[in-house]
Amino acid sequence: MKIEELEKMKPESPDVLPSKERRSLLKIGLAVTGVYLGGTVLSLTSAKNVMAEGVVPKVGKYPYSPHYTMVIRERFCIDCELCKEACVETNHVPPYGFRTTILEKRRDIVGGGYETIFMPVLCNHCNRPPCVRVCPTTATWKDEKTGIVVMKESRCIGCKTCMTACPYNARYFDEETRAVDKCNFCYDTRLSKGEMTTACSEACPADVRVFGDLSDNTSRVFELLHAPETIVWVLRPEAGALPNVFYTNA
Amino acid sequence: MKKIVTIIILGLAIFSFVAISASNQPAEEQEPYDEDTYGPEAPIVWTKPVKAVVFNHKTHTMDQEMDCESCHDDLFQMEAGVAQEEEDFTMESLYDGNYCGACHDGDTAFASNTRCTSCHIGVRGHARLLGGESSEAQGAGH
Repeated sequence: MKIEELEKMKPESPDVLPSKERRSLLKIGLAVTGVYLGGTVLSLTSAKNVMAEGVVPKVGKYPYSPHYTMVIRERFCIDCELCKEACVETNHVPPYGFRTTILEKRRDIVGGGYETIFMPVLCNHCNRPPCVRVCPTTATWKDEKTGIVVMKESRCIGCKTCMTACPYNARYFDEETRAVDKCNFCYDTRLSKGEMTTACSEACPADVRVFGDLSDNTSRVFELLHAPETIVWVLRPEAGALPNVFYTNA
Repeated sequence: MKKIVTIIILGLAIFSFVAISASNQPAEEQEPYDEDTYGPEAPIVWTKPVKAVVFNHKTHTMDQEMDCESCHDDLFQMEAGVAQEEEDFTMESLYDGNYCGACHDGDTAFASNTRCTSCHIGVRGHARLLGGESSEAQGAGH
């Protein structure tokens, strides 16, 4: 741009702005402030007829069909790891990775001593999966029909962002395929071939891992999650990922 | 002034010596474990039909004051671990009063279908037992 042309242009400093423009700008500012202030004032008034909700979705509010779910009856887990063995065999999981594993915690009990609690963990197939959101190549997504969080190895560039995003540490990097691998409820190895359960669920001798369709109200998972006088919890609910793996001691 | 400093240093030295020597000694003298009276000290770990279930002689004989005859040779043979070769060494069988179920019936001792992890120490627990306490970190992996 030439200097001469620039010199001919109108100055844009505040002292030459027409007052109409100034007013409209001020109005925008007030409107924005008003919206925020209004929200703050509203939030101070108590809400009525509101009930707290648990982690189990309301009956009928299942986004998928079949809505695959696993219910883990935690206190029965004895860490025999037959589930892990079955998973490794079915899904060819290398020794440095896992699709599912058992964690261990201790709790002091009355009369001294402690009890051990084994906690099976796997991909939670979240309704709001953080891993899917961060994938730059859409190599992982939530299957529209079943709600299973699936991986397409050929699309994965191995950036491992999904591994960082997952609140459940449910993903590992497969050195052979150069792609991230994870639990898919045995979709390719079993469910798509007409099997009704996952390998881990079938292998469990203590009936800890109950797998099924939550949208079917005659299924065992539905019965477990909606049984009266039971407690159902999920891991890391604060992550807001809405997991589909539930824990109970019933 | 110098005297006070010397006294303080001396006091600290004595205090720390007492504290260190106190922490080295067990809180109370325990009766030494006698294997002839109480059975082998090393825990027995069963790996069939599932991994890994532990039995401690000490808990049952020394702590609970049971005799050898309470279990041997009626419920269990003397040779460690042979029970798991039996077909009926299952939880179902325990519920019927066999093996551990003879006492672990909910009356004499906690029932066999409760407190699973008291005996089922799992693969992780077993690894820790084999490797000693130092392998705790290793067991925390996968």
